[in-house]
Amino acid sequence: MLQLENVTVRFGGVTAVDNLTLSIGASEVTGLVGPNGAGKTTLFNAISGLVRPGAGRIVFNAVDVLNAPVYRRARLGLGRTFQVPQPLSRLTVRENLLVAQRFGTGSVNASRLDEILDFVGLTEKAGRDASSELALSELKALEVGKALATNPKLLLLDEVLAGLETTGKRRFMQMLKDMHAKFGVGILIIEHDIETISNLCKRVVVLNFGELIADGAPDEVFRDAEVIKSYTGAEHA
Amino acid sequence: MDARRISVVLAMVVMYIAVPLLLGSNLYVMSLLVASIAIGGVALAWALLGNLGGMVSFGHAAFFGVGSYVSALLTMKLGVPVFAAMLLGGVGAAVASIAMLPTLRLKGPYFALAILAYAQIFRILATEWKSVTGGSGGLSSIPRLPEIAGFDFGSKIGNYLVIVSIVLIFALIYQRIRASHYGTALRAMHDSEDATRVVGVNSTLLKAMMLFVSAFMTGVIGAFNAHYINFLEPDYGFSGLWSTLPIVAAIFGGYRTILGPVIGAVFVYLVDQLVFKSFIPSGHQIMLGALLAGMVLFSPTGLLPWIVEKFKRSRNAPA
Repeated sequence: MLQLENVTVRFGGVTAVDNLTLSIGASEVTGLVGPNGAGKTTLFNAISGLVRPGAGRIVFNAVDVLNAPVYRRARLGLGRTFQVPQPLSRLTVRENLLVAQRFGTGSVNASRLDEILDFVGLTEKAGRDASSELALSELKALEVGKALATNPKLLLLDEVLAGLETTGKRRFMQMLKDMHAKFGVGILIIEHDIETISNLCKRVVVLNFGELIADGAPDEVFRDAEVIKSYTGAEHA
Repeated sequence: MDARRISVVLAMVVMYIAVPLLLGSNLYVMSLLVASIAIGGVALAWALLGNLGGMVSFGHAAFFGVGSYVSALLTMKLGVPVFAAMLLGGVGAAVASIAMLPTLRLKGPYFALAILAYAQIFRILATEWKSVTGGSGGLSSIPRLPEIAGFDFGSKIGNYLVIVSIVLIFALIYQRIRASHYGTALRAMHDSEDATRVVGVNSTLLKAMMLFVSAFMTGVIGAFNAHYINFLEPDYGFSGLWSTLPIVAAIFGGYRTILGPVIGAVFVYLVDQLVFKSFIPSGHQIMLGALLAGMVLFSPTGLLPWIVEKFKRSRNAPA
């Protein structure tokens, strides 16, 4: 579904993503991990179009999207959330989803909106101001709801569980599992918590200094010496 | 009938019946009203671009000037009927705004400065393109508004009714855009443009559309003004006053509301001309500055929201 071929992103003299080649299949749930500064969010920005790679190709569902603007990628089915939630300010929760659905899919389907609101647990907050009246867990749920409203084929989730307390994290993780099953959407998720990734994903991709250093099943990848070194800075005994 | 409908009907009765009947014979007051409502129309167009498009413009004089020149030249050189030419004046201003599309990449003060520069370019063009515009000598004897079915739209009352109708139609268009899905997306774009783009909103196109609509509205009012005063020169048509007065009016009246800018323009212009000018005949505009500063400090959201708030409080107050 998503193919990255030799993608490179540079900011001045810093190479944030270095000649990365990666393929994500339809309906896969893949974890994207790596230490801080590994280039994970930059990679998300490159895939969603917020950052333009200096080199390489990005193909989504057989369409070369490297030069496609952000909004067109969203309409093709590339949804994403932000690490720091970005609700559409001055709008209610429901209006947030409405804009996402109207512009992401080209039409409005009220019952589908209600279904998504219910799924992310925001039905009772539908009329609230999204930027000032929601708790962190609700803002995170809104991020997912907005992305779902665009009817994505692949959802890029950027540390969507970060900052949540244990119970909230468990509930959210269950929601992500259900979302994958119910909506059939593929997921590429950035997450630091190894337990979460192991629980959610059948495949994990590890970046370090913008380079792909491991790709495989979670239990294999998290035992990989190079991965451990990238996190701890030391060789595994 | 609810309170909202009653107030709309009352306002229509005042605008279309009471004002012409009570003030129609006072040519001075009618001319002040026409001028203030025209400024209000530009203020409304400015506020639409700022409120929905998120762009603060210091260059609406460009659209005003282009609209006035296009309409005047079409009637004088090609014999196009005045009302049709006014619409084409709006189209001309919208077309001129295409030249400003590159500025949409800019934000905040950079956009404001760039669009200010464009306004100067259009003024210089009008001055130097003598064979068409008459250069700095300007155009005189621009056709007045016509007489149709026995009613003289060129009379003071006729001019008043035309500008009131134009501004009301524009307010309605503004209201429809704001209530649409496009309006909702535009509102959201101000503080979270990336977040709107990743859900499929073509933010550049929406901003361009608001620029076109705002330019069209300003161009039509510029065209009306040309046929109202029957004279045009570059320093007048592209005067910076057509950029600054609407800003003052919109901020004073409440630029986040639809009718605030119009009410602000009528209030500010009438107070300036009827009160301040009598005390300080020369330099009375200084009082306008003080008035605006006072309003911003006293009620930052503007006059109309302040009135609405007071009205709500008085209705909710215990008997």
